Amino acid sequence: MSKWYSVPTSKTARRLVAAAAGLAGVAFLSGCASNAPQDTWQPKGPNAEKIDDLQRPVFAIAGIVGVIVFAAIGYAVFKYRDRGQPIPEQSHGKPVLEISMTVLPAIILAAIGVFTFQTIFDLAKTDDTEMVINVTGQQWWWEYDYPVQEQYGITDPIITSGQLVIPAGTKVLLRETSRDVIHSYWIPALNGKRDAVPGRVHTLRLEADEPGIYAGQCTEFCGLSHAAMRMEAVALDRDDFAAWVKGQLSLAASPADGTLAKEGEAVFLNQCIRCHQVNGLKRADGSPAIAAPEDNVWSGAAPNLTHLMSRNTFAGASWDLLTKGCRKDVWGSPSQEFGEKYLAGVTEDCLNQNDLRRWLRNAPAMKAMYADPTKLEKSGGKYRGMPNLGLSEDDIDKLVAYLATLK
Amino acid sequence: MFTNGSKYLIGVTGFSAVVLVVYIALVDGAVGGAVALASIMLAVGLLAGLALFNRDGDVEVGDTAAPANAEPIGSSLWPLVTTVGIVVMGVGLITHEIVFLLGLSALVAGFVEWVIQGWSETASSDRKFNASVRGRLIHPLEFPVLAAIGAAVVVVPFSRIMLAVSKTTGAIVFILVGCIVLVGGIVFALRPNLKKTIVVGLCAAGAVGIVAGGIAGASAGKRDQLVEANEEDHFAHKECGEEKSKYFDFNSEAKVSMRSNPTATIEFVGGKLQARELGLDSPTSKITIQKSSNTSIIFRNQTEGEYRLTLHYGEKKVQEGVVEELHTCTQMIEEGEEQLLTFRIDKSSIASKKPYTFSVPGVEDQSIEVFVP
Repeated sequence: MSKWYSVPTSKTARRLVAAAAGLAGVAFLSGCASNAPQDTWQPKGPNAEKIDDLQRPVFAIAGIVGVIVFAAIGYAVFKYRDRGQPIPEQSHGKPVLEISMTVLPAIILAAIGVFTFQTIFDLAKTDDTEMVINVTGQQWWWEYDYPVQEQYGITDPIITSGQLVIPAGTKVLLRETSRDVIHSYWIPALNGKRDAVPGRVHTLRLEADEPGIYAGQCTEFCGLSHAAMRMEAVALDRDDFAAWVKGQLSLAASPADGTLAKEGEAVFLNQCIRCHQVNGLKRADGSPAIAAPEDNVWSGAAPNLTHLMSRNTFAGASWDLLTKGCRKDVWGSPSQEFGEKYLAGVTEDCLNQNDLRRWLRNAPAMKAMYADPTKLEKSGGKYRGMPNLGLSEDDIDKLVAYLATLK
Repeated sequence: MFTNGSKYLIGVTGFSAVVLVVYIALVDGAVGGAVALASIMLAVGLLAGLALFNRDGDVEVGDTAAPANAEPIGSSLWPLVTTVGIVVMGVGLITHEIVFLLGLSALVAGFVEWVIQGWSETASSDRKFNASVRGRLIHPLEFPVLAAIGAAVVVVPFSRIMLAVSKTTGAIVFILVGCIVLVGGIVFALRPNLKKTIVVGLCAAGAVGIVAGGIAGASAGKRDQLVEANEEDHFAHKECGEEKSKYFDFNSEAKVSMRSNPTATIEFVGGKLQARELGLDSPTSKITIQKSSNTSIIFRNQTEGEYRLTLHYGEKKVQEGVVEELHTCTQMIEEGEEQLLTFRIDKSSIASKKPYTFSVPGVEDQSIEVFVP
């Protein structure tokens, strides 16, 4: 009796089968990862839970249907495989079977459709908003600005980037737009994704149950460094959020004369101020130093660095300002201790100097950007991303010392 | 049928044509590359034609394909079309891209038709059979192209007529032409035995009438309203003085896409100005606008009289020592009406000595402060 299956005999075929099996195994096992901050199956807020409540039964139904279909196909392929038998009699069709196979999926899809629409409408509600934050995407970072909302102590607008800070247990409405191309904002643990489109304002509800950090990523291909356009939402309890707001409303203080940081301030005023604003920074003549990213950057904006060290990340949340150990300490802290650790910001001991220095030394080498000054004809001489400023090691030392003061 | 050599060369010709079209579509204004690709396509196409005609140099095949008693072959128009195409292409190279593309189209069309016709005429000694062979090959290409040209012959002149006549006349012309087509269709359907010459004559007269009307319309130009409306900047009135034109396209602002996502609605209620930001319930006198981003707001007048909303957003240096105040505004709108204002602010408000504000000209002490981070 001949075997109904065959084993690949050539070396190449065996390798291919082994590689395919390996890939399938990796894909399968990746589902078991415990350290997966962008896991769509672990909702941490009511909006994401609504999606989860929908996707679990849909996934189950789709899985059952998939198994049935594949089993039927497998059975037919095996049972009616070519064994030299004559071609069976061809029939014109089986109306009962065909109608059933049309009506049954239609019923399943209609039922899923009802719950899907209900979820979509629930997620589109804006009338129960408790807080509003403007989110602006550009290649390849997100800017957050908080309009005046006195009930949260925001008496003047706040602007930040990289990490979106929200009060936990609060219905936050993000008003998204973009300055250049279409981006998409997605914090899987808090809600689904929403495109940020130039010239339009799209809304996205976010609410976190507990204090903590929730990771996300731009999910609309937006050019060279799309993969490095990340973001983190930081939820703080009400008191901690109030403390964060108070900190953000303060102006940057000038370092003491004669310090390395003071020299760094001069480097900043000479180089970085062309694009990056630091609120409260003054020139030598006492006039306020105002950045002009609109003259130098294609999108017309660059991150405001006034409170850089209150964030844990830089360069579009692609690199950590905290060393690995310190970051682990913040991310892994229980929710009741999280706020205190986050609000401590980036201390001198915890500053990830290696990556920050690498960035200052040659930013385009770390993150692909359109920042070659000889290739800017199409953008009218404007950069998309941060160019290599050609800073000396001395200047980098000074700048790092100055940036470390921006708490 | 096609020989092995000609199949290969026809394939390369087709591929070159596709590459040429993709190149023209993707590479802006690069005529040199298009000429090079067109030259490759023509050269390979010529070789394909030669290979097809001489049957890859296989004498036996050629002999059987062209029997001695074959009927005489009529004259062909396609060599002439191909020649005209080459000439027009040459003219296009020194005049305009469009002329070049027209020449290229004529060249490709003429060449393909010529090759197919030449091949079909040697398929057998039966001219009827040869014609059917040709039709089978070329009709799937010919019919869509001819249909598109036929539609363009009607649509383009008709659009010129509609753009030239006034709105009212345009509506009447549209109704009349529609009625004539409908009545004609009914008559042709009810009288299937109508003489073919009458049907062709009527259709030809209609086509000539439309083309003549289109030429007249194109010569007369667009109606005054369209010319004036085109000259207006619908969405950003730089000057906030006298109203620009009675032809301002208010309807364009009613589009769902524009009205579905304004950043804020600014209301002028009983002489007081207030802003309602998307997502926030209570009115405010301080709003945030994202920098370097096209932004839309709605101005709603709920005060008796005509008012406009003006946005002041700093100053711009026009030359040494001369600065110009930057502002934009809506038109004057009556009570109960609203208008969309779209603008973009590139400078942060902290860079300005004067605060950025929305205000209503002629109304003191009422303004909305604008913060641009």
